[in-house]
Amino acid sequence: MAAKILDWLDERLGIKTVYDTVLDRDVPKVNWWFTLGSASLFLFVMQGITGIFLTVYYVPTPDHAADSILYIMNGVDFGWLIRGIHHWGASLMVIFVFIHMLRTFYCAAYKFPRELTWVTGVILLLATLGMGFTGYLLPMNQRSYWATTVGTEIAATVPFIGTFIMRVLRGGTDISAVTLARFFSAHIWILPAVLVLTISIHMYLIVRLGISSIPKEDD
Amino acid sequence: MNEEQKQEYYKKYKKEKQKGVKFYPDIVYKDIIVSFGLFLLLIGLATFVGVDSAPKADPSDTTYIPRPEWYFLFLFQMLKYFPGQLEWVGTAIIPAIAVLALILLPFFDRNPKRFWRKRKLAISIMTVIVIGIVALTVVAVVTTPAQEESGTLAGTISEKIVAGEELYGLYCVECHGADGEGGEIIGVEGLEGVEVKSISSQDEMYTRSDETFFNIIGFGQGSLGMPPFSKAYAGELGPGEIEAIVAFMRYTWDDRIEIPAEAAQASAIPELAPDEVPSYEVHIVPIVKRYCISCHRPGKKNGEYFITTYDEVMQSGDYAPNVIPGDLTSNLIRMIHREEIEAGGPMPPTKALKPELIDIFERWVLGGAPNTVDDAAAASTGSAEPPSEETLPTGTPTPSP
Repeated sequence: MAAKILDWLDERLGIKTVYDTVLDRDVPKVNWWFTLGSASLFLFVMQGITGIFLTVYYVPTPDHAADSILYIMNGVDFGWLIRGIHHWGASLMVIFVFIHMLRTFYCAAYKFPRELTWVTGVILLLATLGMGFTGYLLPMNQRSYWATTVGTEIAATVPFIGTFIMRVLRGGTDISAVTLARFFSAHIWILPAVLVLTISIHMYLIVRLGISSIPKEDD
Repeated sequence: MNEEQKQEYYKKYKKEKQKGVKFYPDIVYKDIIVSFGLFLLLIGLATFVGVDSAPKADPSDTTYIPRPEWYFLFLFQMLKYFPGQLEWVGTAIIPAIAVLALILLPFFDRNPKRFWRKRKLAISIMTVIVIGIVALTVVAVVTTPAQEESGTLAGTISEKIVAGEELYGLYCVECHGADGEGGEIIGVEGLEGVEVKSISSQDEMYTRSDETFFNIIGFGQGSLGMPPFSKAYAGELGPGEIEAIVAFMRYTWDDRIEIPAEAAQASAIPELAPDEVPSYEVHIVPIVKRYCISCHRPGKKNGEYFITTYDEVMQSGDYAPNVIPGDLTSNLIRMIHREEIEAGGPMPPTKALKPELIDIFERWVLGGAPNTVDDAAAASTGSAEPPSEETLPTGTPTPSP
C-alpha cells in the first residue's frame, strides 16, 4: 500500500529523483566544521518561527512597542521562551554565519566552481547583519533607541549622500514612528524575503556542485 | 583557472566523492546532532540567562550611553580611530571596500591552489582581519562604561522609599499636600482653587495598582489639570524616579503594607532633647523638604522666597528677612501660626503644620537660627537662652519632656 502511494506520488512529483539527487548523493568525507551551514539554516528557521509568534502580540508603534514586549515577557504563556530564543538565536546566527564564512574561506571552498555560492553567502551574511540591526530597534527601549540613533547617524557621515541615506533609514530627521514602521517592515518582510530567496539559490548551488572536499597537500 | 586545471579539479573531486559518504544518512545525521545541540542551547539561554530588560525609550534622556548590538561593536570601535574630518573614511570607505572585497573574493583571488600552505598570503590577510575584529570587539566591551540606568535610584526598597519621599516633597506636595490629603489648591499657578481628592485614602490605595500610579504620574491626568511628570512627556522625572515616588506612596499610605524600619527611621524628623537647640541642617531641612520646598523653589509662586539652602532661608524673599534669629515675630513663625500678614497668608496654605514641627521652628529661631549642628550645640550651652515656657507665645504647645 505504502509503495503504491509512493509510486503514485512519484509519477506526479518525481520524488524519487529528488531523493536521488538531494539525499542519496555522494559527498566527500568531511568533518564537523561542515555542519555550520546547516546550523545557520536551522537558526534561520528558528528565528522565522519564533519571529512569527512574536508578531502575534508585538505592536510596532513607539507608544506600545515596549509595553507589548513587556506583555510578551510577563503576560503571554511561554512568551519569555519565544522571545528568549529569538533574542539569543539572533546572536548565535551571526556567530554561526560568520564562522561558516571563515570555514569556507580557509578551506578555499569559494574557488572554482563555487564562486556564486560564495557570492550568495556574502549576501546572506550581510542580510543577517541587517536583520540584527533592524531587529534591535523593535523593543523600543533605551538601549535600542540610542543604538539606532547612533547607528543611523553613522550613515550620515558618508560623503555627499550621507544625509539622504540617514533620512531614508529614519523616514525623516529623527527616530520616530515612521522609523519603527520601516525597521519593522524590513525586519519581517523585506530582509526575510531576501534571505529566503538567497538561501534557495545557495542551496541549489550546493546540491548542484556538491560539498567541497577538505583540501589535501596536493590541491 | 584554465580548462586543464578545471578538468583536473573535477577528476580529483570525483575521487574524493568515491572515497566519501552518502549525504543521507551520514551528513544529515551530523547536521541534526548539531542543530539539536543548538536547540538545547537556545532553550537554555532563554531559560537561564533570559533577555536583559531596559527602560522604555526616552528621547529626552541624552545621558544614555549608546550601545550597539555586540556584533556591531567592532565597527563602532573602529570609528573612534577616525575622528573629525576623517570620519567618512571609517564609516564609508573601509566598510565599502571590505564588503566589495568579500563579495568579489573568488574573482580576484586567482590562485588555483587550495591547500593552506600554498595560499599563505590570503590566509594571513584574513587571519589578521579576524583578529582585528575580535580585538576591536574586546576593546569596545572593555572601554564602554557600564550604563547607570538613568533615572533609576537606589537599590534597596528602603532607599527607594526615602528617595521617593524627597521627590514627592519636591514635585507633588504643592497640590496633593504633604500627606496626600489633597483639598483646595492654593498658590499654584493655573490650578488655583481646584479641589483635589485625597490620594492617600484607603480607597485609593486598595483600588489602584503601582502600575496605575506609575502611569498617572508619568502621563498626568490632563482632564483634571495634572501635568505629565515623565521626561518622555516633557516632565522632569525618569522612570526610576517615578517608581521611587510610587514606592513611597505605597509603603507610607497603604495600611496593608508595613514600611521597612530602615526607611521609617531615615524619613523620621530627628528627635529633640528638651533643651536642645535645633539646627538647620538636621532639623529644619527635613521639615522644609517635606512641607515647603514644593512651592518655595525657583519657578513657583512664592514671593521669591526660596528655601533650598540656609542662606536662602535667611535672606531671600520679597519681604526678607523672613527669619530673624531670636525673634518669634519673624514672618515665617507668624505664617506657620496661620496668621494673615503683609508677607502672605497661612503656611502651608492648605493644612497647618503639626504642633511639634512648629515647636521645632520656634526653638530654632529662638536659639539664633543656627545652621550647623556645631552652631546649634554652641547655642544650647552658650549665651543663647534656651527656650522656656514663659518665652513661648501663648497657644504653643510645650515641648514634650
